[in-house]
Amino acid sequence: MIKLESVHIEWARGIAQKLDLDFQQKTFAISGPNGSGKSAVIDTIEFALTGQIGRLAGIGTKGLSVTEHGPHVDKAKFPDAAFVELRLFIPELGKSATITRKFKSPNKPKIEPADDDVKAALAEVADHPEITLSRRDIIRFILVEPSKRSEEIQSLLKLDEIGETRSALNTAQNRLQNSHRAATAQAISDSDALRRHLQVKTLSAEELLAAVNERRKVLDLAELGGLTPETSLDAGLSEAATASEFNKESALRDLKALTEAAQGLADICATEAGKIVADLGKLEADPALLAALQRRFFIEKGLELVDGPECPLCDTPWDDEEQLRNHLQAKLAKSEEARAIRDSLRTNGAAISDALIRIVGLIGPVHKLATVEEHTGFAEGLVAWKSDLDELKPKLDTVDGLTGLKNRLTGDWVQAPGALSADLDGLTEKVKAKPDQTAALNAQTFLTKAQVRLGDYRTALRQEKLAEAAAASAKAAYDTYCSVFETALNTLYEEVQDDFSTFYRELNRDDETKFTAKFTPSESKLDLDVNFYGRGLFPPGAYHSEGHQDGMGVCLYLALMKRLFGDRFSLALLDDVVMSVDSDHRYEFCKLLKKHFPETQFIITTHDRLWAEQMKSAGLVTSKTSVAFHSWTIDTGPLVESNKEIWNEIDDALAKGKVEVAAAALRHHLEYVSRHLADELGASPQFRADGNYEMGELLPSVLARMHKLLGKAADAAQSWGDKAKREATAARRKALSESKGAAAVEQWAVNKAVHYNEWANFGKKDFEPVVAAFKDLLDQFRCETCDAWVYVTPRRGNSESLRCSCDAISLNLKQKPK
Amino acid sequence: MAKLQEEIADAFLEKLEESPDLTPEMIEGLRKLFSAKKKLKADDLVKVFSPPAGGDVK
Repeated sequence: MIKLESVHIEWARGIAQKLDLDFQQKTFAISGPNGSGKSAVIDTIEFALTGQIGRLAGIGTKGLSVTEHGPHVDKAKFPDAAFVELRLFIPELGKSATITRKFKSPNKPKIEPADDDVKAALAEVADHPEITLSRRDIIRFILVEPSKRSEEIQSLLKLDEIGETRSALNTAQNRLQNSHRAATAQAISDSDALRRHLQVKTLSAEELLAAVNERRKVLDLAELGGLTPETSLDAGLSEAATASEFNKESALRDLKALTEAAQGLADICATEAGKIVADLGKLEADPALLAALQRRFFIEKGLELVDGPECPLCDTPWDDEEQLRNHLQAKLAKSEEARAIRDSLRTNGAAISDALIRIVGLIGPVHKLATVEEHTGFAEGLVAWKSDLDELKPKLDTVDGLTGLKNRLTGDWVQAPGALSADLDGLTEKVKAKPDQTAALNAQTFLTKAQVRLGDYRTALRQEKLAEAAAASAKAAYDTYCSVFETALNTLYEEVQDDFSTFYRELNRDDETKFTAKFTPSESKLDLDVNFYGRGLFPPGAYHSEGHQDGMGVCLYLALMKRLFGDRFSLALLDDVVMSVDSDHRYEFCKLLKKHFPETQFIITTHDRLWAEQMKSAGLVTSKTSVAFHSWTIDTGPLVESNKEIWNEIDDALAKGKVEVAAAALRHHLEYVSRHLADELGASPQFRADGNYEMGELLPSVLARMHKLLGKAADAAQSWGDKAKREATAARRKALSESKGAAAVEQWAVNKAVHYNEWANFGKKDFEPVVAAFKDLLDQFRCETCDAWVYVTPRRGNSESLRCSCDAISLNLKQKPK
Repeated sequence: MAKLQEEIADAFLEKLEESPDLTPEMIEGLRKLFSAKKKLKADDLVKVFSPPAGGDVK
């Protein structure tokens, strides 16, 4: 897998012009309010890696496409301008590479270096769009019905491929079983013909040889001592003698057999034909069912033919093959009732097919006889009938074929020639009228015909055994695959279940230390139950809060990714997930990522700037590996607010005389910093239940709190006899006071500028001191080394330390015990 | 890490070697199909499972 080094985006999604981000192969946080362009970054990275954007696929996205809606709206007609260039590192190869993908041609990325191993590594990544997780994805795993969860997880783990393999093995098994069934019917038919000729009840060697040797004796031929595959019943007869196989008695028996069968033709398989007609009636009565069935057949065929992102049924281009497959699979799932009808039709069709083979077996000898006896009309009628039945047979195997036969199956589906009985009677009389054959001729033709029929039967038996062996092989393979699949799936779910429980317990170590989860997989669904505070196992949505459910979703995702990639889980894009998880648990989430996925690079977006800062405090990201978007416009795209660049932005605005822009940016930044520092330092503004604090409420309390903390730090240093630290802390406190004083007098200016639209009253020179004062003030809360904001530990209880991420600032707040 | 489907394919082929219903030729045929990294087709599988006519069966 890969790690991201940097990205360069131009005119893509909500990013106008261009945007560059330096990921440094490290976990990276992108924060900003809703609509500031965070997800556009995730979308474009996903696009660069996979050629697709998950947000533009799936439910509710009909009519959306990457090519058309991937570019920035202003470049919708000029998709050439929209592209993403991603620089990445492939740890397994020790190589860096660049992949550039244009929205105009999403399936043709430019990869540099174009080495085969690099291409293979990127192809593997492209095959795993699940590296992107959004909140809607979380819901897919947790709050869904078990069958859907099974589908989602199996899709995530690429188990749909395995399902397709299983389906192909099953189809092969069914086809070979059908072939076996037909071969068996043929063997029975040929067996009947042989027995009828030999006039034996069974084809045991004893009975068969007795019948044959009786005729051989008449011809003074040596008796056959046994029956082997090489045994020839007419062995010893001259070539001339074997030229004729007309045997009067046998001919009469063949005629009698067909005559008797003809009497029952009207009732043959009437029950099965009736069921077929009833099933077809159901389909006619319910056009939706019929459509589902037709689609099912069509879609099943289509699925077999899918070999790329173009639909083989209608040539519609899809973003990728997987989306197309998922689309077709979803349609199949809707037609289960249709499937049951199809199976019933096939079963009854097979029964009629077997009967048909037996009838055809009876027609053959009589046709030969009619031809020899020059009953031309009858012979032609039999040929036409046999031909009709032969054509009927494949139609009985398919629903389409049966649908076309409905009228025929309603009545006399056998459709024997109208004069069959009369013709049979006529031919029978003609054969009967023939002089009896001499004993010698009778014996001779008896043996010749017996050998022909034995040959047919042997061939049929060989075919039947071959078909049986093939069906058995296919069944063994299918059963074995199912067994291996089930075992692997159960093992997988056990592993995922354990990891999921562990991750969730760590995420909620304060209140769910005994949490357990249980996956119960079955044929087509996956039940998930979770322990609710020791009161038993329940579905996740039963009692747990939304925040807990969010936590579960992320934990399950991480457990699945761990199982999917193992040590190669090197990149995940987490788009605004865990937003319902409260702040304390977010710290645990940071710990979880650091502890269990130290080698994984997470690109995390959040609309909660507090959460972004918490990631820094927890050491998951740093100022250099995070970026904040403060706003977005359609013309500029995301506006980046970095701790350094905000001042450049303000300076630039002032340089252009745009005081109103500078004032808005400054106030926005102060609001954000005030809120963050109030949280990190434990400031005490007047409590508001709705959590809406004005900057004018927060900033003074932050300043007061910092002043107090520095005082405590100085006192603590004094108590420990650390003079240098005491003096340094005192100096910091003094600097704070001075900055505070300078800034306080200007606060009114910022407020006024924003709230009262009195920009016209401010000139550049008026506002510059305001900016300088606040920059100086905020610098008092920042580490010069790591550029991070200071914070207090622990977050709750008595404060013990004031520090920064790199520990360059580390002020002890606890006095030496007296 | 081998993909799950590869793990399953390997275990499947290994287990088939113990099956009296499949010949070594069939298993080899399946091995080739599974390693081709293409979607398996029922037609190809039918060919693998169908021994040649006139084979060992008398």
